[in-house]
Amino acid sequence: MNPYLLIVLLTSLGLGTALTLSSTHWLLAWLGLEVGTLAILPLMAQRHHPRATEAATKYFIVQATAAATLLFAAFNNAWLQGHSDIQHMSHPLFTSMITLALLLKLGLAPMHTWMPQVIQGVSLNTGLIVSTWQKIAPFILLLQIKQIHPPLLTIIGLASILIGGWGGLNQTQLRKILAYSSIAHLGWILLILQHSTALATYALLIYIFMTSATFITLKKCKATTINMLTTTWTKAPTITLVAPLMLLSLGGLPPLSGFAPKWFILQELTQLNFIPHASIAAMAALLSLSYYLRLSYSITLSLSPNNLPECLQWRVNYPISTPLSSALPAALALTLFLLPLTPSALTLII
Amino acid sequence: MSYLVCVLLFRLMVGSVGVASNPSPYFAAMGLVMESGVGCGVLICFGGSFLPLVFFLIYLGGMMVVFAFSAALSAEPYPYGWGNRSVKMYVAAYVLGVGCAWKVLLGKWSGFWGGILDESGELLVLRGGMMGVAAMHDVGGWMLVLGGLGLLLTLFVVLELVRGVSRGGLRTV
Repeated sequence: MNPYLLIVLLTSLGLGTALTLSSTHWLLAWLGLEVGTLAILPLMAQRHHPRATEAATKYFIVQATAAATLLFAAFNNAWLQGHSDIQHMSHPLFTSMITLALLLKLGLAPMHTWMPQVIQGVSLNTGLIVSTWQKIAPFILLLQIKQIHPPLLTIIGLASILIGGWGGLNQTQLRKILAYSSIAHLGWILLILQHSTALATYALLIYIFMTSATFITLKKCKATTINMLTTTWTKAPTITLVAPLMLLSLGGLPPLSGFAPKWFILQELTQLNFIPHASIAAMAALLSLSYYLRLSYSITLSLSPNNLPECLQWRVNYPISTPLSSALPAALALTLFLLPLTPSALTLII
Repeated sequence: MSYLVCVLLFRLMVGSVGVASNPSPYFAAMGLVMESGVGCGVLICFGGSFLPLVFFLIYLGGMMVVFAFSAALSAEPYPYGWGNRSVKMYVAAYVLGVGCAWKVLLGKWSGFWGGILDESGELLVLRGGMMGVAAMHDVGGWMLVLGGLGLLLTLFVVLELVRGVSRGGLRTV
């Protein structure tokens, strides 16, 4: 793509999220969300093949619907209340409508069906941006809305964890697996949102680190299906060593950093006496863990049939360098080693 | 006066159904033109002077121009009108929906508020629309700049998405 246009689009992407984060008025928040949506569309349709164009079209229609619903509910609330402050919304119907619009933007069940299709249709780097950066702005808006109907968040959160687990089980395409993993993680975040916004922010932060590390790893291995992962040991032996740990961190196993958000979310839910919620969430996390284990098995724990010349790729193509390579060590370190630092990490957010 | 508003709103519904029933864009454009005209009329009946003209301008000068370009690029030899079977089914469904809504809501919204197009309900020296435009340029100056930036970004995005002769979405552009 033309480098000037690329700079304009990436800057607008950052500008959109910054506008939404810094806004107290619903109109400015909507403006930021729309700018973010528009800026990513040419990045998605960059390759100009029908699948990418289809993914860009679906993304645009879904996000535009959500933004229109958001604007409608925000202005109705402003008409009834007299002001458009984000933090002082009071009408229950329009609060729920805005919440549903933001959850559609985030891709939570039952409004999740666009996520796997969109992330599958775009390249790995663009999928990374859609999975991580585009979640920040709607999440911050959700944080600021008070008095959301509690059963709404709980039911959608639990449904997302379950659907994220079950949906990813039958997939062989890695981008779809990561889309379902995103749905499941955002379900966990939504579950704790009404009780502790600090834990929700921490969970989102750890999720962003883990997902970034996974996408960058897949980009380095040039792998988009599980079959392509089996030759990772020939391309980058170090990644073969570390990738299972990264995937198990996504699955939420101690002593990796992915365990910390799940641990604290379960603890908070238990202390507030929401035992069924905590049980269902913990059991549904096993569904996600099974497909992360399947990926680890393909990468490290098994040796697929191969021919001799392909076994020596790491000698010829070393080091594999993609534009995001320099971010991988940082993302991996944050994915694996953050659990002992959790107390100080939480003090930054609380 | 309320009869005029009722007639105009009825035409608004007819226009909406005509557009939403998915005919070829040539015919849907006619529905939009009618909608914009009667929408302008409704706003005038409620007392506005500037806002109806803005409504007309944005509908016809903005939306319709883009619509016309899209229709010109997607020309087809046998366009579907409203007599086509699939379009007629949509028309029937939407008319049924409007009828149900009318039945449900009839009697719940009553009274015609023939006041000035304003929310304050009192006598003002300046009209609400004019004051709003002045405030938008005065207090909301930076918001206008951001809106303009957003529109410029939209231009770049659209140009990037549709260019490409052989590799873009449209083959001859």
